[in-house]
Amino acid sequence: MIKQDETIKHFVNLAKSDFSQVEENLSKIIFELQHSQNKGLNYIESFDEQLVLKQLENLRNSNKKGKLFGVPITVKDAIVVKDLESKAGSRILAGYKPQFDATVIKKAREEGAIILAKTTQDEFGFGTFSTNTIKVPKNPFDQNRSCGGSSGGSGGFTAYTSAYHLSIGESTGGSIACPASYCGVNGLTPTYGLVSRNGLIDYANSLDKIGAIGRNTFDSELLLNVISGKDEMDSTNLGINYAVDDYDLDALDLNELNKDVNKIAVIKDFYEFCDQDVKKVFDKQIEKLREFVEVEEVSLPLNVKYALSAYYIIATSEASTNLAKLSGLRYGIQEDVDGLHFDDYFSLVRSANFSDEAKRRIILGTFARMSGFRDAYYLKSLKVRTKLINEFKSAFKNYDLLLNPTMSTVAPRFDEIEKLTPIQNYAMDLCTVPANLAGLPHLSSPIGFSQDMPVGLMTVANHLEEKKLTAFGKLIEMIN
Amino acid sequence: MENEETKVMIGLEIHAYLDTKSKLFCSCPTNVNESKPNSLCCPVCLGHPGSKPVLNEKAVELGTKVGLALNCKINQDFFFSRKTYFYPDMSANYQITQYEIPLAGKGFVELGDKKITIRRAHLEIDPAALIHPSGMGQSNYVLIDYNRSGLPLIEIVTEPDLTTPDEAREFLITLENILSYLLVLKPETTLKADCNISINGGNRVEIKNISGFANAKKALTYEIKRQINETKLGKTIEQHTRAYNQETNTTIPLRKKETEEDYGYIFDPDLVKVNLTDEYLNKIKSSMPELPKEKIVRFIKEYNLSEYDAKVLCSDFELSNLFETIVKKGASPKITNQILTREFLSILNHDSLNFNQVKINETDIFDLVKLIESEKVSDKNVKESMINYISGDKTSPKSYLEKNNLLVDTTIDLDSIVISVIDANPKAKEDYKNGNEKTLNFLAGQIMRQTKGSAQIDKVLEKLKEKIN
Repeated sequence: MIKQDETIKHFVNLAKSDFSQVEENLSKIIFELQHSQNKGLNYIESFDEQLVLKQLENLRNSNKKGKLFGVPITVKDAIVVKDLESKAGSRILAGYKPQFDATVIKKAREEGAIILAKTTQDEFGFGTFSTNTIKVPKNPFDQNRSCGGSSGGSGGFTAYTSAYHLSIGESTGGSIACPASYCGVNGLTPTYGLVSRNGLIDYANSLDKIGAIGRNTFDSELLLNVISGKDEMDSTNLGINYAVDDYDLDALDLNELNKDVNKIAVIKDFYEFCDQDVKKVFDKQIEKLREFVEVEEVSLPLNVKYALSAYYIIATSEASTNLAKLSGLRYGIQEDVDGLHFDDYFSLVRSANFSDEAKRRIILGTFARMSGFRDAYYLKSLKVRTKLINEFKSAFKNYDLLLNPTMSTVAPRFDEIEKLTPIQNYAMDLCTVPANLAGLPHLSSPIGFSQDMPVGLMTVANHLEEKKLTAFGKLIEMIN
Repeated sequence: MENEETKVMIGLEIHAYLDTKSKLFCSCPTNVNESKPNSLCCPVCLGHPGSKPVLNEKAVELGTKVGLALNCKINQDFFFSRKTYFYPDMSANYQITQYEIPLAGKGFVELGDKKITIRRAHLEIDPAALIHPSGMGQSNYVLIDYNRSGLPLIEIVTEPDLTTPDEAREFLITLENILSYLLVLKPETTLKADCNISINGGNRVEIKNISGFANAKKALTYEIKRQINETKLGKTIEQHTRAYNQETNTTIPLRKKETEEDYGYIFDPDLVKVNLTDEYLNKIKSSMPELPKEKIVRFIKEYNLSEYDAKVLCSDFELSNLFETIVKKGASPKITNQILTREFLSILNHDSLNFNQVKINETDIFDLVKLIESEKVSDKNVKESMINYISGDKTSPKSYLEKNNLLVDTTIDLDSIVISVIDANPKAKEDYKNGNEKTLNFLAGQIMRQTKGSAQIDKVLEKLKEKIN
């Protein structure tokens, strides 16, 4: 059960008439941020107190009191913030201070948000556990376990801080849902194209979606409302804004809230893939939900069989071209060597500064788009993607929403992760990848604990049906 | 030079800058020539992380016009691809270009009676400029100017239908003329051509990045000779890339190209498929300007010009416009054509000048034509005034003629001068009457001297004959 005073909306209402609320909340979160860094929890990649205080002063003197007035926001490192080191978790971009704000940052600032810090992530989003990076974030529930990835720092810090706060994450194959699930917070990934990607350091452009991480659906949807909408700087932007309705939590009618969600289905294939203890928590939640909505089962055989392969081929093909620009020439790290031919210089910089996982994905992606293999891998995967989208689309003819446990396990321990082969590692994304490949909006809601670790439920809606998703997420929060 | 049996196949890839205000995928201005290095760039054309390209619609419009003018099939649904290769002038280390489906598909250009097939025409970005401070291969460092990075190019690719270096040169001239009629070319830029050449069905050699049509011809001529010689020595021509060295007039090998280079093309996922609606395409079709072929036909019909003259005038967009402007002011088409195609062009040829290198004022030419119409100037003085106008002190022909007293004084009574000269030379008169034609020239010389050369020689001769008989 969420209470009104737990919401960002409540805080913003107070802050608008009492600026000391902003100052107190900001002091608290900066204290917690520094404390978490000192303890080596590693949620934060870059933080510049001067830039934060400057924003506070601007806000103090501002007449405009927006929807996020005084709310501190952390941002996944891959989303560029003007003058704040932005390197997508990679050493190769060390020292890179962007000349511009990503569109989402601009929009958040316009509504009075304070851009607090960049959060840690797997290098370029390449990972499920935020372990493919230098500063590995640790799960606030158990420091021996992962926060999930790749928006691990965002998930971890959202769970860690007690201050009013929101985080902007990014999902390519499940990078918002996964850390939300492992850290017991709410992760809302919109339809592909709803939120501008301008200013996002790309992983795989046809899959990347910027979204919201918050303590509850009310908070996440408020952030989505602010950051979605038209942007001429991103050609793939849909030009649609996610609207929010006003609400009073104390007088919320659950049936009215959920009026557009009548029939839902659990995706059997994904459910069966999950650990027993995760299933148990999930089953309990489904039983509770049956009171409000009809629950059936559905099978997506093509997705379970082909989604991961198609995803990794498309994602690495695009990623391998995106990363080509990172060669130590114009920005980021530079190697102090003389007399090398440019080819050798590029090789030197890239060999020394990309992690093994980045190199693995560059090699995979370059192979998949090489002439002679391109038809069989890259182009075939694009065709497969269309078929997989169609499979989802037919399921949505019968159901308003599709459900599965977000992750097949609770957050694994770091020693367990080390033992995974790359293929086992990629397979951990099975439940989140299909919806991401199809560009479908999805929400991960915390639904309970197993082994004292959070378990998440993932809800998937048809394209641009975020409203059903958030209504349902709120229902879960109100009945738990 | 060539063996009679030598079968030459030449295909061209031509790059032209489109005349847009902003670059192909960002809003940076394109006035590269008058700007400081690296002053016209932004995160997009510098390839900064997070920046995203947005297509410039004007470039699509201009590209579509080019496609239509080259009789190409316009692909109404097209998209952009990433061509990945590492080079310091390529800010993202991939070029945004078109691969599977170009803006314009198959078309042709007419070269006399021959049709040269156009394989495709597509849009792409220009890389940055690499500046070698002390010459290529001589500097131990290179400077990069990103002002050029992202400028809109159209690449026009022909089938290997061209068979001689002259034909290749003629094709380039014809193509440039068509493009100039469309008003799509960025001013003060030239076409650059990559020439692909093979002899007797052998491997294809590519000569990269040749500026200037004469150079293209020279490079191809050299390359044919080189390939014939190699073959004679029993060597096989391998597929590779060469560069043309203007100073030595030779081609030199750049790199071996055993197979097609692998650029690992993918669809650019930052850009969406472009759809040109029927309505859009029809609008462009109806806004297409008159092309050289149509203009020639019209000039013949409207101004009663010979096909040859119409072709000469229309072989240059500016020249044909100049002609028409002067005629529309009321000048005689026949005389205007004579001034432009005979006098003017022969002076340009003589001085190895291009039309755009000289300043021609339509009023100056108009005034001259009017003087000729009213028979106030001799042919000799027309030529002299034009030479002065183009390569002398550039005073207008009329002022020049006036200043130097070279106009026919219409107050002079030519009849009485003729009669007085005949009367003063009775012997000459008799000689002529007895059939000595040369004496007529002697008499005419006398008359010309008296009129200080301002009389028209044709007229003088005519009058002499009239009076003697």
